[in-house]
Amino acid sequence: MAERGFQATRLPGFAATAVIVFVALYAPILTLVVYSFNATNSISNWAGFSFDWYVKAWNNEAVKDAALRSLVLATMAATIATTVATMAALGTTRRRAYRGQTFIYVVINQPLMVPEIVTAVALLIVFGVMKQATGYQGLGWLVAAHAAFCTPFAYLPIRARLEGMDLTLEAAAADLYASPWQAFRHVTLPLMFPGILAGFMLAFVISLDDVVITEFVKSAGQETLSTYMLGQLRRAFTPEVNAISTALLAFTVLLLLGFFFLTRKRE
Amino acid sequence: MKRTAAALAALLATTGVASAEGVLNLYNWGNYTSPELLEKFKAETGITVTLTEFDSNDTALAKVDAGGHGFDLVVPSHSYVPIWMEKGLTVPLDLARLPNHANIAPEWRDLDWDPGRANSIPWQWGSVGMGVNTAVYGGDINTSAIFLETPPELVGKINVVPEMVDVVNLAIMYVGGAPCTEDTEVLKKARDLLVAAKPNWIAMDYGATERLSNNDWAASVNWNGSTMRARLANPPVAFGYPREGYPMFMDNVMLLADAQNVDEAYLFMDFIMLPENAAMISAFARYANGIAGSEAFMPEDMKTAPEVVTPEEHKAAGVFLPVCSQQAQEYVTAIWTELLK
Repeated sequence: MAERGFQATRLPGFAATAVIVFVALYAPILTLVVYSFNATNSISNWAGFSFDWYVKAWNNEAVKDAALRSLVLATMAATIATTVATMAALGTTRRRAYRGQTFIYVVINQPLMVPEIVTAVALLIVFGVMKQATGYQGLGWLVAAHAAFCTPFAYLPIRARLEGMDLTLEAAAADLYASPWQAFRHVTLPLMFPGILAGFMLAFVISLDDVVITEFVKSAGQETLSTYMLGQLRRAFTPEVNAISTALLAFTVLLLLGFFFLTRKRE
Repeated sequence: MKRTAAALAALLATTGVASAEGVLNLYNWGNYTSPELLEKFKAETGITVTLTEFDSNDTALAKVDAGGHGFDLVVPSHSYVPIWMEKGLTVPLDLARLPNHANIAPEWRDLDWDPGRANSIPWQWGSVGMGVNTAVYGGDINTSAIFLETPPELVGKINVVPEMVDVVNLAIMYVGGAPCTEDTEVLKKARDLLVAAKPNWIAMDYGATERLSNNDWAASVNWNGSTMRARLANPPVAFGYPREGYPMFMDNVMLLADAQNVDEAYLFMDFIMLPENAAMISAFARYANGIAGSEAFMPEDMKTAPEVVTPEEHKAAGVFLPVCSQQAQEYVTAIWTELLK
């Protein structure tokens, strides 16, 4: 028994550290959730329980409009990002190691490293010129921007999934006279599907949460839920913002739970 | 696949900005535009206003400057009005198309940042002063001494909003200087006073409405509208107008040079200069609006509010901070940096 190796859980103070970290992570969110049920318009003075702010937010046309736009945008962006990421992941993993592999990973993941404000300002300038040249001001610009920065997020789980799959699987399929397409359709795709779904959900949540790039790229009338909430900053916050945040939070948690169960299923 | 593509295309089309008749794209501060006002405008004119929000003057300026934004009207703060004009992003107004221009109150007709109101019309304005809980401190609150030479009752209980230009200029005016001064003697005095006062402050933070309401703070350098909301929740809170001079701000509607819906924009600007409509703006965001006669249409609690209706004796001390010279700006920034150390 004494021969057990290093275990972080047995270090002194492990439990205390864990508790402190979890409190620090979740206490602010919990406070936000609690005050979304406040009966008055204060975000720090408790005055009784009510669903008023949820009703208010639900009946607020601006909130509904922004929420719907956020969902449409996230669905489209995540679809594009996941498609691109799937192709990229197949291209970078279903083969033996090759020269420049690391470089390609870095290129694909570059949006994760660049500060968001840099991407935002760059897109503002480039899209400004393109919007003037084309005269098109629809949601397409936001979809393009979101799809771009969501791609590396979708790529990571898909690549992780593919790296865990043996390269000989396709070879075995080919030995059994499967065409390359059949091998992909009946072997690779079903096996990598949990990764694709996980990538889609991650991309969806990232798009839903984004503020900075959206604020700079949005055209007239393209408020998303996040930029709507940012706009409330200058004046006093009311628990309506808490209510919206809580709803958004619940939705995100549901998606991440889905992510968790999908990735766990086949382990 | 084809069906998905078609559906996507349809979605893209419907969520784009319609360019048909009867629309107007307003670009305003967040949570600053009364939805009822836009509904009333639609009922009267049939024009649908699409509201898009920004969170700072700089964001708004950067977006419009980049082009291809699709907005018709923008609502910058007074100190940014000359910048929008100089950059050619906005155009002078055709006053003949704005019969209600005559409703602008006399004191808001001719301003340093827009002489003769030829380029902008009022949206809302307010003041930066002292929000004080008079149950904690019963002395004179109409002075910047509240935060610069803090009375013992307020030591460790007063907040200062982190607005560099407002706070430093309150101190400059308190020591007898003019805003944007380049007089180093005056600036030194202001700096020394601020640095000496800082240990008496509990914080330099936003959120004064909340914290004055729940007695977390007994005082704060604060905006008038925010202080009024705090008073409604916590009656001993009062707003002091520093007699040594206090900064005012005004947000103004301007017409963008590349506006697509110019006729609609003029209709809207004229519409909001009718007293009953201007009152709707104030009723929503709780600041005064600069349209003569609008007080009569305001909610009861605003008509007589000393934070909204500036008492006559305090009017003279209000100052619209100009856009300072490069040198003066550097001084203000240097003082602020030292204060934040």
